[in-house]
Amino acid sequence: METKETIIEILEEIRPDVDFENETSLVDGNVLESFDIVSLVSELSDEFDITIRPKDLVPENFNSVDAMVKLVNTLVEE
Amino acid sequence: MENVLEWLETTVQRLPEKVAFTSETEDGTDVEVTFKEVYDKARMIGSTIAKTDDTTPVGVFSARTATTPILFMACVYAGRAYAPIDMALPEARIGKILDNLMPDVILVDKESFSSFAKLCKDIYPDESWDVVVVDFENATIEKYNNSNYESPASENSLEDDLIKSDLLQNVREKAKPSDPLYIIHTSGSSGRPKGVVTSHESLINYIDSYGDVMGIEESDRFGNQSPLDYIAAIRDIYLPFKYGASSYIIPKKYFMDPNALFTYLNDKEVTAVGWSVSALTIPLSLGAFEEVKLNTLRKICFSGSVMPCSALKVWQENLPDALFVNQYGPTEATASCTYYVVNHVVDESEVLPIGKAYNGYDVFLTDLECDSKVITDEDTEGQITVAGISLAIGYFNDPDRTNENFVERELSDGTTKRIYKTGDIGTIHNGVFEFHGRMDRQIKHMGHRVELDEVECAANSVENVAESCCIYKKEKESLILYYSGDATKRDLSLALRELIPGFMVPRKIIQLDELPKLPNGKIDIKELEER
Repeated sequence: METKETIIEILEEIRPDVDFENETSLVDGNVLESFDIVSLVSELSDEFDITIRPKDLVPENFNSVDAMVKLVNTLVEE
Repeated sequence: MENVLEWLETTVQRLPEKVAFTSETEDGTDVEVTFKEVYDKARMIGSTIAKTDDTTPVGVFSARTATTPILFMACVYAGRAYAPIDMALPEARIGKILDNLMPDVILVDKESFSSFAKLCKDIYPDESWDVVVVDFENATIEKYNNSNYESPASENSLEDDLIKSDLLQNVREKAKPSDPLYIIHTSGSSGRPKGVVTSHESLINYIDSYGDVMGIEESDRFGNQSPLDYIAAIRDIYLPFKYGASSYIIPKKYFMDPNALFTYLNDKEVTAVGWSVSALTIPLSLGAFEEVKLNTLRKICFSGSVMPCSALKVWQENLPDALFVNQYGPTEATASCTYYVVNHVVDESEVLPIGKAYNGYDVFLTDLECDSKVITDEDTEGQITVAGISLAIGYFNDPDRTNENFVERELSDGTTKRIYKTGDIGTIHNGVFEFHGRMDRQIKHMGHRVELDEVECAANSVENVAESCCIYKKEKESLILYYSGDATKRDLSLALRELIPGFMVPRKIIQLDELPKLPNGKIDIKELEER
């Protein structure tokens, strides 16, 4: 499955009330809560076998699905 | 010391221009409130809502900002308990809290007003309560009544001429140390929140004891993590009043970003925190300390759930000179009743004791079957039971559950006491308590108290859900809901968001054809826990 679809699937499981395709301010707009980020980081790490470091946890990397795809792709390559 | 206002009034004489509370706006600017501003504005707003001989509680809707303690103190000046309510809760939940309170006046800050007005249109179209809206930025105060939120019935500037000294003095003369100070709503297994009512004297006793244990002084700077409507926030609100210290209300988003969190603590030179265990463990799971170190923090108290020693060890290694205190206790016993000063670097496999009773607290064990039998034998399990000045007055407007939980007992040691049974199992060894788990299905999730029964109760009320069972996976800090029925996972999750607070909504929902059962027909919780 494409990275993007997998990420959306993970996100929709955590927060089905959010329209992830169109949101571009998930963190800055307070859409995602800390509970969500903790679940998300753990799911992404397991799914893609990556390590998300504190420096990656800036809002820019989690504000939209596209940003998360970019982050995951960078980390997969490392 | 009879009234919490005495702390504020002494400190304002000494340090009028010192900043008591600081918060940050969305765009990163600081909002600062001095002790004098708290004192003056609380008396202005207090004069607006005070009535002779009316001590009924006031509902307070306010944002996570430095001005919120002013609204709380305004209620206290008016001789009325404050009941803080988080505007971010689902409407149905706020409705249950307001139904319990039935206030005749509600204080709302400007930031919360539009959401509040919408909520009232939706579920309270014709209530007779007065709504007082305070706009701190523009220094105005507006009153709305008869459910008309379009135009205010009156509007005033927030100025000294609002202060009715005679009325405030009259209210104060009638005040007693046993008067209710605040009402904090907490999870109830039936789905009806319980409003825990705490008195001035209970709070004063707790703050005094906590301040002594933590060695709090005027130069301390607190980093507030707890939501302001939640019990743990009382430290960040009242310690500044007592000691002339300052609190910094940390923006919520920093708790998802350890580098930003630590940078904030360093910039503000925060020296002391009283945080939930998860506020200390989550940053670690996100890599805290790897890239940014802490420079000023030296007093750390944690509570809310069991601290894993593997996490505590990392904190201790990074802050070798800091004081670490484990605190335990239910909202019903004024935040906490026991404390344990961690006097050594912990081992990963260790289990921390919950310690001994705070000064002025009466904590003991009673037999698990017979609550009048006091257990004095070392290492025998019993129910942790609390009595004395720290006990809450009861649950607001709820005599049934008050009488059920706060009971008068003639104890086997010959004393008669009003006791609160925590539902927690413990043992005592050399006067030090250890925590061994719950008697029921209450858990602590990210610092919040959650009744798993309440989550199930909400799930079962959703259309096309046949049965449900909620379990808690501690290692992953996640709530998992299993259910049977035709509802989709998405519909169930969306419906839960309308019924219960966000932190109670399971982030993993699993549909089964049928839930596993025990021979007696009950759901096999153990089997689900082991999946």
